[in-house]
Amino acid sequence: MNNENKNISKLKEKIEDIESKISKKSKPTKENGAAFGFKISTELVAALVVGVGIGLIVDNFLGTKPFGLIIFFILGAFAGFLNIYRIMRHIENKQ
Amino acid sequence: MSSTGENHSNEKHSPLEQFEISPYAHFETGIGDLAFTNSSLSMVITVLVITLFLTLTVNTRSLIPSRLQLMSEMSYNFIAQLINDTVGDQGKKYFPFIFSIFMFVLIGNMVGMVPYSFTFTSHIIVTFALASVVFIGVTILGFWKHGFRYFALLAPAGLPFYMLPILIPIELISYLSRPISLSVRLFANMLAGHTLLKVFAGFVLPLGFAGVLPLAFIVALTGLEILIAFLQAYVFAILTCLYINDAIHLH
Repeated sequence: MNNENKNISKLKEKIEDIESKISKKSKPTKENGAAFGFKISTELVAALVVGVGIGLIVDNFLGTKPFGLIIFFILGAFAGFLNIYRIMRHIENKQ
Repeated sequence: MSSTGENHSNEKHSPLEQFEISPYAHFETGIGDLAFTNSSLSMVITVLVITLFLTLTVNTRSLIPSRLQLMSEMSYNFIAQLINDTVGDQGKKYFPFIFSIFMFVLIGNMVGMVPYSFTFTSHIIVTFALASVVFIGVTILGFWKHGFRYFALLAPAGLPFYMLPILIPIELISYLSRPISLSVRLFANMLAGHTLLKVFAGFVLPLGFAGVLPLAFIVALTGLEILIAFLQAYVFAILTCLYINDAIHLH
């Protein structure tokens, strides 16, 4: 009886060991530094592109030649910072 | 001058030449020429590879899977786990969509790694179309689930009202920048990697015996490119999941 229990607990340990190995393996690959930097920079640039695009469209329609571009460029820069802030907060929450 | 020009036209060593589109068949329609190009051929091959791989390997349905069957089951599990971690139970409905996008990008990148083949993910119009599908789909999903309350995404809760005129445009630009960052990331990674491979391949013969060094570098770089191909497909899938999560669960 005792021996059986021992065997079962041993088997349990083995299963847990294998399961922990499997779960470790199936975790997504960690990003390296370059990929992370690229992710951040695209977020910043994409927001600026959208900001400048909206600024040019606004100028075209309202005839406020430089001011739409200036205002939306600044707003786009802030939006880029907001994107990066969100990514960093997401990483902090994960840890 | 004329001889160098002639030489130049005969030479085909530009690292960017691999990205050139060449049409195989023309289909004139009212909106323009819907040509079947090498890019289209590459996409058809990708879809065929995915379909054959997923159907043939799982066809045996053995309880103890063979290695190939394990591979397709693992790719299924990988995305199922990803959706479960980021969206939760409500995300199960969107599994086919995310799995299709993941496999299309992943196998497309892998098909592009085969020598003499064409990498369609290295064209911004392809990745931007993919990202637009995600962006428009997520926006429709958000409005369908929440109606006009979806606009609350643009105004963070607990904000003093005098900050709204500044923050709403910023949040709007941030929201609109999603498809651009999503597409540019994939496109630029593939473009840069494949160009770098070709540039270093161009060093091998002119350097003579020392050409072994760039050759060794290319071997290492090919491994890195395969890792990047997987990583970018993973990033595309996980960001799609996060956007769907944002649309379903308003903060």
